[in-house]
Amino acid sequence: MQDDLITGAENTWCPGCGNFGILNAVKRAVRTLEDRGITRDRLFMTACIGCHAKIFDYLALSGVYALHGRSMAVAQGAKLANPELKLIAFTGDGAGYGEGVAHLLFAAKRNADITVVVHNNGVYALTTGQRSPTSEAGFEGPSTPRGNEEDPFNPLAIMLEAGATFVARAYSARLDALAEIIVAAVEHEGFSLVDVLQPSVAFHNTYEEYESSVRTLEEPAETLEDALAIAREGGGMFSGILYRVERPSHGERLQGDFSPVAAHQDRDERHERVRSLVG
Amino acid sequence: MARDVFTYIVGGKAGEGVKKAGTVAANMQASMGLNVFQMDDYPSLISGGHNFSVVTSSEREVRSHYMSAEVVVALDERSYRTHACHVAPGGVMVFNSDAVSEGEGLGVPMTSLASEYPNAALRVGVAGLASLCALSGRTREQMADTIAREYRHDLENNTAYADAVYDHVRNATDLRFELGGTDASRGGSGDGRTDAASGLPMFTGNEAMALGAAAAGLDMYIGYPMTPASTVLHYLAKHDRELGVTVVHPESEIAVANMAIGAAAAGAKVMVGTSGGGFALMEEAFSFAGMAEVPFLSVMSSRPGPSTGVPTYTEQADLRFALGQGHGDFPRVVASPGSVAEAFALAAELMALVWDFQAAGLLLTEKHLSESRTTVELDVNGATWAQGVTHEGGDYRRYLETDDGVSPMLFPPSNELIKWSSYEHDEAGITTEDAEAIAAMHDKRDRKGAALTDRLREMRTVNRFGDDGPLILTYGSTTLSVLEALAAGDIDARVVQPVYLEPFPVWEFQELRDEDAIVVEQSSTGQFATLMSERAGVGVSDVILRYDGRPFEPVELAEDIRKAIG
Repeated sequence: MQDDLITGAENTWCPGCGNFGILNAVKRAVRTLEDRGITRDRLFMTACIGCHAKIFDYLALSGVYALHGRSMAVAQGAKLANPELKLIAFTGDGAGYGEGVAHLLFAAKRNADITVVVHNNGVYALTTGQRSPTSEAGFEGPSTPRGNEEDPFNPLAIMLEAGATFVARAYSARLDALAEIIVAAVEHEGFSLVDVLQPSVAFHNTYEEYESSVRTLEEPAETLEDALAIAREGGGMFSGILYRVERPSHGERLQGDFSPVAAHQDRDERHERVRSLVG
Repeated sequence: MARDVFTYIVGGKAGEGVKKAGTVAANMQASMGLNVFQMDDYPSLISGGHNFSVVTSSEREVRSHYMSAEVVVALDERSYRTHACHVAPGGVMVFNSDAVSEGEGLGVPMTSLASEYPNAALRVGVAGLASLCALSGRTREQMADTIAREYRHDLENNTAYADAVYDHVRNATDLRFELGGTDASRGGSGDGRTDAASGLPMFTGNEAMALGAAAAGLDMYIGYPMTPASTVLHYLAKHDRELGVTVVHPESEIAVANMAIGAAAAGAKVMVGTSGGGFALMEEAFSFAGMAEVPFLSVMSSRPGPSTGVPTYTEQADLRFALGQGHGDFPRVVASPGSVAEAFALAAELMALVWDFQAAGLLLTEKHLSESRTTVELDVNGATWAQGVTHEGGDYRRYLETDDGVSPMLFPPSNELIKWSSYEHDEAGITTEDAEAIAAMHDKRDRKGAALTDRLREMRTVNRFGDDGPLILTYGSTTLSVLEALAAGDIDARVVQPVYLEPFPVWEFQELRDEDAIVVEQSSTGQFATLMSERAGVGVSDVILRYDGRPFEPVELAEDIRKAIG
């Protein structure tokens, strides 16, 4: 049977790449979401630039293939324009935690109703293996031949502090759990972050490490403090929803139930409104 | 020279209500049926310093402020020193005698008189209006009416204070200026009930651009504060519900531009705005819009650069920056309005063009137009409505090859697959590195550029003023200065102002190619003059430049033009 969630574009990820796991989990999540009433025509995806972003060409969902680090900003614009859409912004650790980190922080701060999936492989793979914001100290890449002179930061703790209302981590090789988490993230009303631990077979092969160290987190933490403690402990090597809380979303607070696209006025009505200001 | 204009300057410290004092005086004269131009000069600070507002009015159309004033009101000592030279022959300096110990002119103890009321420091600005009313034959009743309209808070104290200043000025001098206008001709009748109904409303260029975009169907405005573009954001944020527009202020210009792309891809008519420095951050997204063929429109309002430059003053040195925006080849449209009325119409027109051609566009202007206020009639009915070509049904390909390069748009939710991309792509929007496909997409975008140029050929892209005399080329807000200088100096000249700068309307300049022209612009290197000789093929005999952050002054500019004519 033909896979109707695949565009047919030639897939150029390395054999064994963690991105395949993410793609498959997303497809599974889309089907589950459809079963639960969120049809795929309402799903709108954005992607940054990097190996992660090739998912845009492969996955048969509408959206915008954005610039490096900007998929989160593009997604927020689309969400505000048409709140009926469910936005999934795909990004990498370089794009999301580096180039575009401000967009991520502010999306969390304002509780923008978008889901951000971070393909976190701890390396810039598409540009041939430079260190990323989540590479360990000492990581040797072409830009750091004597080893990474910086320490990685902890994206989960940062997102929690920024105000994220849904923070999860998953592992690309555990498909069921990843798919479930993505479903929960998309269903969450407000900002959701899914950080996906993902080996890069070519430049940062962490399969063995992740297979042995990633444990399952059964339940979200009850408090922000507990979530922060879990995120900090050993770098947070777990798969599961770390924190989930309900707060009004950015769109709701900014424009209530107003939808710019749905409320688009015809020429006469708009001119009437402009005339009331023009006198 | 017979003066057919009346000018009032009020100066003081930031926080003394100087701008308000200018605005109130301008509104009062506009309500009398006069044509009014208000220019505010203020430094980039919140308190202290020196602010002044210049209000010039006339029974004829007036396109600039003048720096030679019939009435100067100095609320503090620095204003007195700064503006003593701006008192016109026969004019008067009204100064705050509490701040200026020995001054020439009419001293009024503005601070002492204010000290009888609460918030004395905030109230002295009212003395500006009171002095103007006393010196222009306005009755106390008419003044009270203006105060009631303009100062919403603390009406009683403001009126009492204004009366005290008014009486002081009236007792000190018999000097009275004739403002003209319908209301003034009935002056002294005690009937102060003639107001806005008899005059034109006043708008700044930024307000006009905001309203023009709204009249074209704007759904969203996204902006990050940067002078002199900020008031587009403020105006639309203030009127968002009345208009039915969502206004967003995110974390950076980069977020602004990328959010705008997302919003447009979801079907919203969106505009953004900033100054040159802010646009430097948006440039990456401008190119993105060019590749992804997302309708994108930004206001770019210039201030003196380079870099942080001089935030609250004016310059036209971002012309080349605007024309060369974005890496890579792609069609774009850049236009610059020469009046507040044109700012309104052009914002709507550009909104329609960027939607029709899924193009990246810039509405280039300067602080002088953005923030100056004029009496103006905005032609709402005449505003272009933005639409864009949308998909009619059947299989959808975002980048379908068409004759004019314009591929129909489709917005979510849809069962069709809609792929917008920053990468080079095939018709379906899937990334490609195929040689033929790359060339084909370039060709498609170039056809779209050609179609855009063809559209401009059918439109008015250049304004012409005057029938004979030497040729003067100018653009943007400097058009206002040039036209007013010609009026002030009673000079006959032909003024040609290209409104569209990219695609450049070369066809409009065919018959001027053998002529020599005087170019007037606000830059130090003559960017516009270079553009005119390169693109319009016009000979440039003289270039009149001003680059000290201040707009041209009509009388001074008239002198410069006269010298250039020889």
